[in-house]
Amino acid sequence: MELSVLLLNRTVNYTVDMARQDLFQVGPIVAVTIALLLAMIADLVLPKGARRTAAGALTVLGFVGALLADALLYNNGRSAYHGFATGDNFAVYFHAFFAILGLLTVAASHAYLHRREFLTSEFYVLLLAATAGMMVLGSSTSLVSIFLGLELLSVSLYILAGYARRDTASQEAGTKYLLMGGFASAFVAYGMALLYGGSGTTLIPEIARRVTADSSSNPILLLGVILIGIGFAFKVSAAPFQMWTPDVYQGSPIVVTAFMSVGTKAAAFAMILRVFDSGLPGLAPQWQALLAFTAAASMVVGNLGAIVQTSIKRLLAYSGIAQAGYILIGVLAGHSDGQGAVLFYLFGYLVMNFGAFAVVIALSGPEGDLDRMSDLNGLGHRRPWLGVALTVFMFSLAGFPPSVGFIGKFFLFAAGVAHGFTWLVVLAVLMSVASVYYYVRVVVHIWTPAEKRAWPRLTSGTALAVAITGVLSLAIGIYPVVLYLIAQAGAQPVAAGGG
Amino acid sequence: MLSAVWLIPVIGAMLVAALPRRFGKWLGIVVAATVLALTAYLAYAFDPGAHGYQFVERVEWIPGLHVDYHLGLDGISLWLLLLNALIGLIAVLATPVEMRNSSRFIAMLLVMQGGMAGVFMAVDLLVFYVFFEAMLIPAYFLLWMWGEGPRPLHAAIKFVLFTLVGSLLMLVGIIGEYVFSGASSFDLTTLAQHQPSSQLQFGLFFLFAAAFAVKTPLFPFHSWLPDAYLAAPTPMLIAFAGVMGKTGAYAMLRILVPLFHSPVWWWDWDQVLPVLAVAGIIWGSLLALAQTDMKAVVAYSSIAHMAFIVLGIFSFNAQGQQGAVIQMVNHGLIVTALFLIVAWIERRAGSRDLRVVHALGAHMPVLAGIFVVVTMAALGLPGLNSFVGEFMILLGAWKYSAVLTVIACIGLVLTPVYMLRLFQGSMQGVPDDASIPLLDIGGRELALMAPLVILMFLLGLDPYLLTRVMTTNALGLGLPWS
Repeated sequence: MELSVLLLNRTVNYTVDMARQDLFQVGPIVAVTIALLLAMIADLVLPKGARRTAAGALTVLGFVGALLADALLYNNGRSAYHGFATGDNFAVYFHAFFAILGLLTVAASHAYLHRREFLTSEFYVLLLAATAGMMVLGSSTSLVSIFLGLELLSVSLYILAGYARRDTASQEAGTKYLLMGGFASAFVAYGMALLYGGSGTTLIPEIARRVTADSSSNPILLLGVILIGIGFAFKVSAAPFQMWTPDVYQGSPIVVTAFMSVGTKAAAFAMILRVFDSGLPGLAPQWQALLAFTAAASMVVGNLGAIVQTSIKRLLAYSGIAQAGYILIGVLAGHSDGQGAVLFYLFGYLVMNFGAFAVVIALSGPEGDLDRMSDLNGLGHRRPWLGVALTVFMFSLAGFPPSVGFIGKFFLFAAGVAHGFTWLVVLAVLMSVASVYYYVRVVVHIWTPAEKRAWPRLTSGTALAVAITGVLSLAIGIYPVVLYLIAQAGAQPVAAGGG
Repeated sequence: MLSAVWLIPVIGAMLVAALPRRFGKWLGIVVAATVLALTAYLAYAFDPGAHGYQFVERVEWIPGLHVDYHLGLDGISLWLLLLNALIGLIAVLATPVEMRNSSRFIAMLLVMQGGMAGVFMAVDLLVFYVFFEAMLIPAYFLLWMWGEGPRPLHAAIKFVLFTLVGSLLMLVGIIGEYVFSGASSFDLTTLAQHQPSSQLQFGLFFLFAAAFAVKTPLFPFHSWLPDAYLAAPTPMLIAFAGVMGKTGAYAMLRILVPLFHSPVWWWDWDQVLPVLAVAGIIWGSLLALAQTDMKAVVAYSSIAHMAFIVLGIFSFNAQGQQGAVIQMVNHGLIVTALFLIVAWIERRAGSRDLRVVHALGAHMPVLAGIFVVVTMAALGLPGLNSFVGEFMILLGAWKYSAVLTVIACIGLVLTPVYMLRLFQGSMQGVPDDASIPLLDIGGRELALMAPLVILMFLLGLDPYLLTRVMTTNALGLGLPWS
């Protein structure tokens, strides 16, 4: 069967077979979307008692299905939907990344949602929607589909940030995130429009072909790059567009903070790699100058800001700003080693940062989230395994060997030095010293003796999330080869596109 | 086999940490003794005539970047590994069971020992870095959780941050060496054959030297040391002062000297370090003179002694560098003995302040006897171990620069002053009528001290025992000797 559609004065022939192949290329997104729809229906038709479990099970199934579809896609990717999306290994890497993040989020948050009496089904539906948006960002090769993914992700997160409806801090977080995020989206949309105006296409490979070094005198293109850069910097919470991060991280329920601190950052980096590294190699000197400044500012602002924090969420927010600065070094360095380092470090960031949040989730009671650092006192003595795990995550975030944080930083720095960003690496190193001070401060609280506290019972799901992330934080640090090779394979399409 | 030297203490530590205190200590002793036996066997099986590294283990670690898990032993690292194993055992033995969480303490000691063993065995730059930095974590916990004095946390953080500034700069240096030397390798032997341009060497040298200068510590990067040493509990202090300081000096000899033959641009770094060393000798000695706390006297004297070792390394000849290695071992033995003696005095007299403690010799003849031997060893009496090392260093330094050597000798004159002040102040004099008789050291403490004193005599009388394997043959990396 053949369908003929008239599109922009061109007849496009689209067969069922092509449709099937295109669907296969975005299989992981399809799996998550089906789970999303089923979860919504289940919430309507099932009896009240079964909804919570059903939504959880469907979400898990959706992510597992995404992983399976992803496995089939590995090395079988090609362009789909007339260049709007792709199933290349870069997309495969990020699909798997977000599916794992989603699974960890479900494991860590299932009992927590119940403890805090949040609406469970809706949470899972929004989680699936946000993840689908992130996956779209991973597989987009067109400005239009990138914007689509960005909005799907953002809108879901705006709601999630304000999920604790009776909590004013959460309301504030939701509102603030919505307003600031709206601005950022507007910047991105405007930038994309200018980029389209300057290049005449929205397809990224086509942009890469048309925008060459000669285009650097075209003010429309340059303005477009700047505006998109600002929007992206906002999404990865890089300075000087980081203002929202601490407030939103602190106000949101901690499971949301855990999910978005890793997810938004990774999705935004996928987008940056696609648009800048693979789409605009012709304007590399221009956007490199922009991002180099952003990276340096993030490292300084994030690390110095974190030193004075007494709230764990705010501390991790500032640490996230700083980490965005480190990861930008890999984006700037480009080439397969720089982009591979970005992908490697993002996964490392997933295990160590989500792990740190998972420990705090395990300790967050019915009244609200554990947030003051002094509330961690005695953790090492009362709950030794959680204490050890959080200590591992902190040392890993600080970049001590033999943890994934060290190896990841090593790859980033190695790429930075190899491709002419030694000054940024030196700055990153000096700022890392400051970071050790505040990460170690958390460790000090963990191992300071204190009287018994009313921490909730450790549930199996949260324990599993902590255990997996904890073991991976060390295992990848000791034996990094597997992830290194996967990350290299994942970076291949972007590097190839960047020439 | 070399992997076992660091894996046994690290894995053993996990078991020890889980055990109740009495069993923890016993298992700790067993683990440390096993490591010592294993290391002693390595020394026995070491072939002084063979060329290059021995007992080599090499496995690919990160193939894309040519990083290998690569361990080896040569005529220099062998002695430091032995020192580490011996002092590790003494440190575990010296840990009182009554100490708070003593099992965890011993576990941390063992992890630190494993990390230091890794530093001495690493032949790959990145593997070296991993061990160099990983040993900070147990050191930090030991200092903070079992530290003495008013602010152990402050001392621990200061130590970690000081060290990190250096070692993270070294990480940049390591990457720079990989990228700019053109070797595309982290293997020390390969890197030694690829010398980057002088300007690059100048920059890289600084990045590496910063890390080692802080760790050693070299003047003017020593200010963490008094805080950390005063806060450190004695069993940890033994391993800390006895071995960890040596990792910095060892790395200078192992990395700075062979990898950077001419670090010259705006100035020549090879001329800067000896000057800093001499300044450290004088400054450390003067500060040691000014202390009334016995522990502080030993701590500052250690700055001076380590500076002596650095002077030997940067004299760029056989005498100086061999003397430096001998002196690393000697200082490890002497400083261990001194800190043990100070701790014993403190436990008995209730104070280690020289203004309070005096005339203990009358009650404690055995301790006084040992103390006098250790003091003599520390001030370099011929026949005891330190004399040989110091003599060789001065000989080497004289060839390098007579002026510097003369100035360094002023420090040598100051050593007897503060060492004898330490001994006489605490041991000699007429006891007050009112003073309570104190118990002398017992058999256990004597047994702890015996190997140290025996080695002081042995190495003093037969230094060839050490130097015979330090031939060009038995070295993994070329040093400017031949």
